[in-house]
Amino acid sequence: MRDTLSVDGVHDMGGMHGFGPVPVTDDEAVFHAPWEGRVWAMAGVLLRRTTIDRFRYLIEQMPPVQYLTSSYYERWLWALERLAAEHGMLEGRGADPVTRPALVPPTPGRFAPGDQVRVANRVVPGHCRVPRYLRRQVGRVERVACVWPRPEESAATGRYGPLESVYTVVFSGRDLFGPSADHTVSADLGESDLEAP
Amino acid sequence: MTESSPLERAARLERGLVEHGSVRATEIDAAIARAEDPGGDQPSTALGARVVARAWADPDYRARLLADPVGTLGELVAQPVPIAVLADTPSVHHVIVCTLCSCYPTALLGNPPAWYKSFEYRSRVVREPRAVLAEFGTVVDPGVEIRVHDSTAEQRYLVLPQRPAGTDGWTEDQLATLVTRDAMIGTRYPRAGE
Repeated sequence: MRDTLSVDGVHDMGGMHGFGPVPVTDDEAVFHAPWEGRVWAMAGVLLRRTTIDRFRYLIEQMPPVQYLTSSYYERWLWALERLAAEHGMLEGRGADPVTRPALVPPTPGRFAPGDQVRVANRVVPGHCRVPRYLRRQVGRVERVACVWPRPEESAATGRYGPLESVYTVVFSGRDLFGPSADHTVSADLGESDLEAP
Repeated sequence: MTESSPLERAARLERGLVEHGSVRATEIDAAIARAEDPGGDQPSTALGARVVARAWADPDYRARLLADPVGTLGELVAQPVPIAVLADTPSVHHVIVCTLCSCYPTALLGNPPAWYKSFEYRSRVVREPRAVLAEFGTVVDPGVEIRVHDSTAEQRYLVLPQRPAGTDGWTEDQLATLVTRDAMIGTRYPRAGE
């Protein structure tokens, strides 16, 4: 299947205006209909044959109007249909298993806790885990969160590539959303998405 | 041609995957059964509540959980994931979100609730957390910093709320009854003690 652009897609909704009150529920079934459970469980099996990033990237390629009018598991189903198709799983072909990277302890990278960093304004087509509302913003590194393959690459290839340091970076809500914001926001960002301010 | 319903499409996909050997029907049924009726050490709110209750009752465990969350939680969860434990204090209240999709500590807590995956929560909590928490009936003192954690990478988060007052001498099992799913996400406080 031909990938379309997904950076700046409608899925990147942090900070958007216009959505109403949160549909708070106290107690709910794990699945709201039996087919949702089957979609969830199929995803669990098929995701052993690709990367989590590839799955997210497929969901992000859903046309925006459809994304906003589909339920959560309808979006999963849409992505699974495409995942099965791109591996020929419905024509008797299979896909090799993909192993998640082993967890390794975080190691010091280019940035250290306390450093000021700027989020790179790198807008390239494809999967992107830097939310739009953080682009170009300056924050403070709190800690090295983990080391993990770059999601852009894992999404494009369906395989996990080389590891990079991922940092928890803290931003002032005021910088992001204006003077009435008195909170802080943190996000986990890869080393190649950060630069010296 | 009318568009098939999700139910029909899901059934068609499953039939095709089973027929061509990519999926075994039994593994689908088994996974659903585990998710709907966890129990034991399966990921669920109850498992998370045990962790929080033990951290409240046992200072050594709490210290270990905060210093080495991956190793400490790895004793409980089948598939270790990068995870950080966020301890609330009298001056900081933590809340977690995934604005880009639905990342959640599923390895510990099971599947996220529908509201966590809603467009409303994803778009708004990073911008106006006090207003969003108020919709859960949670009023955070203006002097307390709210820290919103956007789960943008593989690192997952568990909120460790403050131990409720009036619980001196409570056992771990008693304490666990106060720990709700939402308290471990940060949108509500734990249930009150006596």
